Amino acid sequence: MKFKLKTLAMILAGGRVDDLGVLTFHRPKSAIPFGGFARVIDFSLSNLMNSGLERVAILSQYRSYSLINHIGIGSAWDMVGRYRGISILPPYIGYGHSQWYRGSSDAVYQNLDFMQYIDPEQLLVLSGDHIYNMDYKKIINYHREKDADLTMVCLKVPIDEAHRFGVADIDDEDGEFGGRVVRYSEKPKNPEFNWASMTIFCFKPEVLYETLAANIKEDASYEFGRDIIPRMMRDNRRVFGYKFNDYWGYTGNIEEFWQANMDLLGDDPPIKFADWNIRTNMEHRNIRDCQPLKIGDNARISDSLIYNGCIIEGEVENSILFPGTCVEKGAKVKDSVLFFKNEVGKGAVLDKIISDVNTIFGRGVRIGGESQAGIRETSVIGWNNYIKANTIIGSGCTVYPSVSSERIPKQVHSGEVVR
Amino acid sequence: MSSTQDTLVLLLAGGVGSRLNVLVKTRAKPSVPFAGLYRIIDFSLSNVMNCGIKKVGVLTQYKPLSLMRHLATGEAWDFTGRSRGVKILPPSTGFRDSDWYKGTADAIRQNLSFIRAHPAKELLVLSGDHIYQMDLDAMIQFHRQKNADISIGMMVVPKSQIHQFGTGITDDEGRIVEWEEKPKVPRTNLASMGIYVFNTEYLLNLLAEDKDMVDFGIHLIPKAIARDNVFAYPFKGYWRDVGTIQAYWEANMDLLRDNPEISPEAWGIRPNPESEQFVTDRIPARFSTGSKVKRSMVSAGCVIEGEVINSVLSPGVRVGRGCRITDSIILHDCVVEEGATVDLTIMDKRVRVGKGAVIGTGENKKVANTKYPDHLYTGISLVGKEADIPAETIIGRNCIINPWRKQKDFTAKVLQDGETL
Repeated sequence: MKFKLKTLAMILAGGRVDDLGVLTFHRPKSAIPFGGFARVIDFSLSNLMNSGLERVAILSQYRSYSLINHIGIGSAWDMVGRYRGISILPPYIGYGHSQWYRGSSDAVYQNLDFMQYIDPEQLLVLSGDHIYNMDYKKIINYHREKDADLTMVCLKVPIDEAHRFGVADIDDEDGEFGGRVVRYSEKPKNPEFNWASMTIFCFKPEVLYETLAANIKEDASYEFGRDIIPRMMRDNRRVFGYKFNDYWGYTGNIEEFWQANMDLLGDDPPIKFADWNIRTNMEHRNIRDCQPLKIGDNARISDSLIYNGCIIEGEVENSILFPGTCVEKGAKVKDSVLFFKNEVGKGAVLDKIISDVNTIFGRGVRIGGESQAGIRETSVIGWNNYIKANTIIGSGCTVYPSVSSERIPKQVHSGEVVR
Repeated sequence: MSSTQDTLVLLLAGGVGSRLNVLVKTRAKPSVPFAGLYRIIDFSLSNVMNCGIKKVGVLTQYKPLSLMRHLATGEAWDFTGRSRGVKILPPSTGFRDSDWYKGTADAIRQNLSFIRAHPAKELLVLSGDHIYQMDLDAMIQFHRQKNADISIGMMVVPKSQIHQFGTGITDDEGRIVEWEEKPKVPRTNLASMGIYVFNTEYLLNLLAEDKDMVDFGIHLIPKAIARDNVFAYPFKGYWRDVGTIQAYWEANMDLLRDNPEISPEAWGIRPNPESEQFVTDRIPARFSTGSKVKRSMVSAGCVIEGEVINSVLSPGVRVGRGCRITDSIILHDCVVEEGATVDLTIMDKRVRVGKGAVIGTGENKKVANTKYPDHLYTGISLVGKEADIPAETIIGRNCIINPWRKQKDFTAKVLQDGETL
């Protein structure tokens, strides 16, 4: 019998997500560091690996280098082999056709020939932007059992947040597992139902091809949520909702991203990180070559995750530190996330900040804390910055990547942006 | 062009290193974990990688499985590619001869075909047993400048330790004029590090002269000194033969000093985390509220709820609430349950220490182990791989728990100083 691939996974990883600001100036959201050593896309890739789905394509468009570098040849996720692999699909110039990906479904549509060449039994389309742990086999099994044209995975969200998502009304055909999607609306102003789509779609390929083709002819529109799913509903396709009821980190803005990081901490963290079986590319930034974390005589560490390659002489509380970060004596890092290779100088205090890679905080720098108005928002420092000694930066501030240190004022008030 | 283009490395990794006791029950000495997430051989291999040599043969003999898994394709040290490679060379049977490696020189002699298959001007022979960083390229340059037949890496060691080494007396030029292997009464403080550069042709001829010459230090070097050009390449810096429990413990503790002389990451030493063959990666070390860690090295995957002071923890160690670990080396995935204390102990992988147990206690650090008085005599206790120590057990100084001891094997609650289980 000829080998036929059961499932091809397509990961949508091209977007930048405006609300994540400086963190996505130089990389797509999927390549943002998360969890002290990994990247956001590692969650989708590890889910795929753990689900035994090993034929993957990644649709990437925005600032792809960081992502391409991270994926490598795919060996980190064991996706190298005769029938295993990760293909990166960038936008391309074709004969009589040159177009950026104009949206999520357009990205998939432009790679129709790729999908048809692979010719899988199911097509799993995922976002690479979210933090969660899921066994996709269950979704695929449900999809096949229902002989569905589309099975979308949904999560119940508070009704007052439903306007941010595509939301489905799912009947109780299969109780807590899921059911037929009876109504669907994309980012409704006044939501009536609240099963939010997690951007995890399992399609019957022929139906998707037909729908995409019809859509491009009639609507020239480009989004799964806004265009393809409503069209399938209109066409009375068999659309099912699979109910997911575990942790989902949507991380659509800085505060949510910060919170998802904090969800790794505490005595009973919402994210059971060690059980999620995450793999990352240890070659990326050579994190495999880091020595163990070194802790000095005066260090105090509580409720934190710290990876190899860090040196801690000061105090770290409720924080996440990526490899290569140093916290000097008398410095204090609290409620913060420091990406790779940050240096926190003597006596510096960082309170609720996210700092991108390669930033040096001089002695006595103070960032974050509470603003005069009593608000404690996350301050974000872009990459490759040098914050001079004794600089004071308030809460909810943003420092752009690679700002000349001369241009960073001695005092930055809460909420200000330094470009 | 770098001088290392023409060099072939043979790494001797077959030694038992029996003085490391339980640590070498399941693995060869080069494969013993060190500094949390390295193995001893990583130091030699990384030195080779960092000087640009592309071809390495690793001679194995004693318990090579752990070592072979660790080396894998050599990819961790960048030995993969068209012109690169690391090859495992175990003893093998041949048409006429078949024998184990009888000594360092014999091991090289039994691999002449490998040497001929990788023609190189010089042959660099290293030991996989040592903790050091060295610019091997500089040593090869030295060898060429001196027009030497053999150059030997040598360093000054305290007179009290010299009896463990091959020693050489040199003239003003650095030529070795006399050689004494492990002298009882030292006449010099210059010790051989077991690092040799040979002119390949020269060595092949020398080895062919007499098949009873099986050891470099005992046979070949003295003979060569008497008639050929043998030079001492002076090495200054940190170098340790961690062949005894005491030396192994001290070298680990050296990592924890202020401004340490030894710094694996700064030295460019590479581990091979892949060789753990974990399906997934270890997450960052987790420190709970109430944990207390001072002057220690902690690896990814550890979960620290108790106290850790002046200790080196390999990946995946769990230290429960109310525990206290001091002056110890704890290897991968050990679990120290609530309220247990561990002092001055080396614990092999996946040991479980039950609640409230006390490992390493009492003031009698000088009561040597009765079975191995020359292995354990300074107070260090050893726990072998996957031992399962019952709750509330009390273990004294210089004790040995052998690998795989089950709860039922602990017939008494207390193991006295110097006892072995």
